[in-house]
Parts: sequence; structure tokens; C-alpha cells
Amino acid sequence: MKKLFALLLTLAMVLSLAACGGKKEEAPAQSGGESEVIKEVNLWATGSDNVREIFETLTEKFNASQDTYEVKLNFMLSGTGTQTMVDMIVAAQKAGQTNTDYDLVDFSGDDWSKIIALVGEEAFHKIDASEIPNAASVEAKCAVSPEYSQPYRGTTVILAYNADKVDNVPTTYEELKTWIKEHPGRFAYNTPGTGGAGDSFVRTSVYNFIDDEAAMTSADAKWAEQWDEGFALLEELHPYMYQSGGSIVYPNKNQGTLDLLAQGEIDMCPNWADMVLSQRAAGSIPDSIKITTIQPSFTGSVQSLSIPTIGSNPEGAKAFIDYMLSEEAQSLLVTQMAAIPLVDTANMDMTGYEDLQTLDVSNFRILSIGDLSTTFNERWDNEIATLG
Amino acid sequence: MSKEKKRMAFGYALVMPAFLVVMLVVAWPIVTAVQKSFTDPETGGFTFDNYLYFFTDPNQLKNIFFTMFVCFATVAIAIVVAYLLALYLRFVKSPVARLIGNLYLIPRFVPSLVAVYAMITIIRDSGLINRISLLFGADVKLGMMYHASGMITMNLWFNIPFAALMITAGLGAIPDSIIEGARDVGATKWKTFTSMILPLSYKDVVVASTFVFMSNVGSFTTPYLMGGNAPKMLGIALFDQFNKYLRYERAAALSVIMFLICSVSAAVYIYTNLKEKDWEH
Repeated sequence: MKKLFALLLTLAMVLSLAACGGKKEEAPAQSGGESEVIKEVNLWATGSDNVREIFETLTEKFNASQDTYEVKLNFMLSGTGTQTMVDMIVAAQKAGQTNTDYDLVDFSGDDWSKIIALVGEEAFHKIDASEIPNAASVEAKCAVSPEYSQPYRGTTVILAYNADKVDNVPTTYEELKTWIKEHPGRFAYNTPGTGGAGDSFVRTSVYNFIDDEAAMTSADAKWAEQWDEGFALLEELHPYMYQSGGSIVYPNKNQGTLDLLAQGEIDMCPNWADMVLSQRAAGSIPDSIKITTIQPSFTGSVQSLSIPTIGSNPEGAKAFIDYMLSEEAQSLLVTQMAAIPLVDTANMDMTGYEDLQTLDVSNFRILSIGDLSTTFNERWDNEIATLG
Repeated sequence: MSKEKKRMAFGYALVMPAFLVVMLVVAWPIVTAVQKSFTDPETGGFTFDNYLYFFTDPNQLKNIFFTMFVCFATVAIAIVVAYLLALYLRFVKSPVARLIGNLYLIPRFVPSLVAVYAMITIIRDSGLINRISLLFGADVKLGMMYHASGMITMNLWFNIPFAALMITAGLGAIPDSIIEGARDVGATKWKTFTSMILPLSYKDVVVASTFVFMSNVGSFTTPYLMGGNAPKMLGIALFDQFNKYLRYERAAALSVIMFLICSVSAAVYIYTNLKEKDWEH
């Protein structure tokens, strides 16, 4: 008798396990009538925790400011999910789903290029400036399919330096190279693959040697053959990098180099404008840390919102996009995450973030080499990291 | 059904949930990983290349030797310090000893990430020690960051309390009567130690060593935040293969290699346990 009971128990457990695995989120069928306005707008976003915080604030304020729509934030912390947001939307699209809750999606420049390559721009609603009054003053555009996405903030890698130590701030890559060689051990960039700032430094160092503009946005393996000159330069700079314990060190993560800069162990490093400025405003790095841009510049991109055609509430989505370009929302983006605003800042309080006004979004250099980045990082790890 | 059989069935039912979970989330992934490690990423056929890569590429070989060095150094220092600490706690009866006995486990309760950052702020070239030295006109740069010495120091923070806990338990099991007996027949302190205490606690030392060794072979947080670019600990080399280069077959092969390294230590552990059983009978 007990044996039978035990068997049933195990069976029940196995089944419950299986049930857990099989239960998938069902796309809520939005069943509003034809003329009825659908209240709920589902916003999908991914990124670090500061992105979650800003979106929580913005959706809350938007929901409180009007009664027609209610934006619900669906946030995925980057690096924790097995599926990326791009994968999820591509999967839903290819499975032929309609009326899903992918009403509005937040994409980085890289992800936007990726999804357009995978499903094409017809998977998104065209964004008509006439429907979004606040977009009229925004000049920034996405690099690909600009009519199908609405940029709302910019982000870029800059050169961060300690103004107490650096007198002649480099303005070009050539000058930076000279500065590095004249000040051994005072410059660092983070290991490529552990943070976008290091990625941007090494990639622009290599791609500055390639004349063809097309290389910057191509994942074609043929460009890898033209990397040699750039890698030779990185090798040439290697002995002048930051040292610890008697050997050259490239710290992991953007924060790794920023910590060295804040502690005074180095005087200069490439980093994200928003990381430097928000940490400076918070007081965790000293005021002597300044930012500057060089020519040819490091890379940057615009973050944008898009409306998938498989979503159910394009009208609500547009209303939220319009709000994101309002002065209130843009000010919050500046003060909470040091994002580069895309609207006129004349009436905004930019105290502590004046540097942002010097960054021109329309001149951002986009570098998106897709799967080639894996080959690139592996070559760096094998050729540069091992120089010792 | 006899009473005996019913009891057995009930026993199996109790074990079954844990058994199934282990099969599902441990055994099955191991089988697929081993399979993957012998797979050619291009053709899908059988190959030894994924393994050959780690034993022929000079950088990867350095990674393996570096990891061995860090692990053995950690084990050696951690066990010696932990043993001395355990001896002190077992045989010295004073308020100070009691206080240390209560305090030495605290590092186990500090989240590892917090501990690593705390260590970094102290030992880095611009850290606490450097700043104190500046007050006295010296500019002490330890150079421990991004260096094996920093990682070993961090490992000691995690492993000494753990090893001391195991060895203290072992020493606690040695009855006072044995030691008093040895002293009564005229043995010196050193003789008592070498012929009584050491042999009786030897098993705990071996067990503690194997655990310390295994927990360091695959460590990630410490080498990721404190290690240099090359050579790397295997945990980081694995992360590179899997997350950066997306070479899943090589990642599987390296996992198997790390598993084999650990299993040598596991074999020592099992052997010691079995020997103990013989001795008891």
C-alpha cells in the first residue's frame, strides 16, 4: 500500500516539475472594442539596474500625469535571462503571434541594428513625427531604419581624465597616443568583452586604420584581415599602460578603470559619459575628474523606443514616447542617469551635468561589428593580454 | 507486503525527490557536457581537439599551471595557519581563546563580493596600507592587486576559518585522557604532539585540504576582480570560452578538465575515509 503511495507521490512530483517547465506566459488577449481606448501599455526594457530605476520613475510619473493610459514596465536585468529581449521579440514575430503585449520596446543602438537585421523594419510601426509633438525638436536618428524608432537619449564613450594631473588634454587620437607614451603607467583601458569603454577604445584604435566607412557597421569576416595595423598599435602602446605588481594590467569592467582614475593610480582612461558624470555628481569620484572627446572619436549611440506591429496598443505607446521627449522626462534622464538629452536644454536645470551639453549626439560614431566582436576579443586576449 | 518491505518503500519515497533533482540538474548536465566536449563544433563529429587545445596552447597551459600554483599555495598556507589556530583553540583555556573561538568564523558570514572589495580597498596600490604609509613618509605599493599574491591572500580569508572549523572539530574529538596518559608516562609536549595529536587529527587535515583545494580550482569572483589578464585562473578561462568567445565545446572540455583535477582531490578524500573505516573495525 505504502509502496503504491510512494509511487504516486513521485509521479505527482515529476508531473508538477514538468508542469512548471511547460507553463509559458500566455500573451494576454487584449479584447477592447474597436473604438474603445486600451488603457494598458506594456513597455519592455533591458539593461543595468540604473535603467530599471529611471524607467520606474518615468512610468510612475507618466501614469500619474494622465488617465487615458497606464504604462506597465517589464524589465529584464541584463545578463540574467537566458533569452535576450531581441530573441524574445524575434521569436514571437517568427511564430506569427499577434496582439501580444510587446506594445513598446526600448532598444540600444546595437540591439536595434540586430533586430532589424533579423526581422526587418516592417516588423515595426512607422513613427510619424506629426503624432509625437515633442519629437519635432529631436534631430538624433538611429543609424539603421531611422523612421521606425524614436531616439530619446544618447550615450557615448569619452576620455575621462584627472584635471589636477593632466595639463595638455589630448584632442586627437594622435595626441592621446603621444600623451600615453610620455606618461608611462598613467593610462588604462578595461579588458575588451568586460565593458563597453574598453571595447570602444580597442575597436576604434583598430578601425581608425581602415579607410572604408562600411567596415564600421559590418560583421563580414573579410574586415578581420585588415586588423593587423591596429593590433600592432595596441601592442606598441602596451608597455605604457597601467602597471601593478611589476606587470602591465588591464582591469576588468568599466568600473575597474574608473576606480583607478578616482584613486589617482592613473590619470586618464576611456569610459562612459553617463558613468563618470553620475558618479561625480554622487560624490563617489572626485570633482577633478573631467571628460573630453577626441578626434576621431570613440563610439556612441542613441537609445530608442520602437513599436512592434505585433503589439496591441500603438496609440498608448506613442503617448508614452511623447512623454519621454518632454522636458520633465529629459530632465529626469539627465539627473538620474546622466543621459545625454536629445531636446533643447535651455530651460532645463543642468547643474553638475554641464559637460553633457558639449556632447553632440548627431556626431556620434557608430561601430557595430556583430559576431566579429567575438573574434576581435579573442585575438586581443591572445595577442595583447599575454604580452606580460 | 511485509512490514520490512513497506519500510523500505517508504525510505525510497523519502529519498526519491532529492535523487530525481540530482539526476535532473547535476547528472544529466554532466553527461551532456562530457558529450559536448568531444564534439567538433563544425562537423558535429567526434574529436579530441577541444582537449588538445588546452594542453597544447601555451597560454592555456600557463593558465592550468597558474591555477595549480594558486590552489596549492592556498591549501598549504590555509592548512598550516588553520591547524595552529585549531591547536590554540583546543588546548589553551583562556578568555582570549574563547573570544577568538567565537570570532574566527565571522569571515564566513561576510558575503564574498563584499569581502573581495574590502580586501581590494586595503591592499591596492592606492589603498589603506599605502595611505597609512604615506603618513610616515614612505610610499608602500604592495603590488598585490592583479597578482597571484593578492588572490592567495583573499583565498586565505575565505578558507582559513573553514579549515579551522573542520580541524577544530577533529581535535575536539581527541579525549583529554589520551593526552594526559601520554604526559603521565613522561612524553614531552612535542612527543605528545607528533605521536598522539597529529596522527589522530591527520584525517581531518586531509579532508580540510581536499575541500579547500576543490573550492579554489573553479573560483570566479576573486580572480575576476583581483586577477591579472594573463595567466588566468581556470574559472576565468572558462568564462572567456563560454561567455566571450561562445566556444561551448571548448568550455565543456575545460569543465571536464577542471572536474578531473577536482576528482583527484575527491579520490584522496574518499580513500582517507575508507581507510578510517578499516582502522575502526
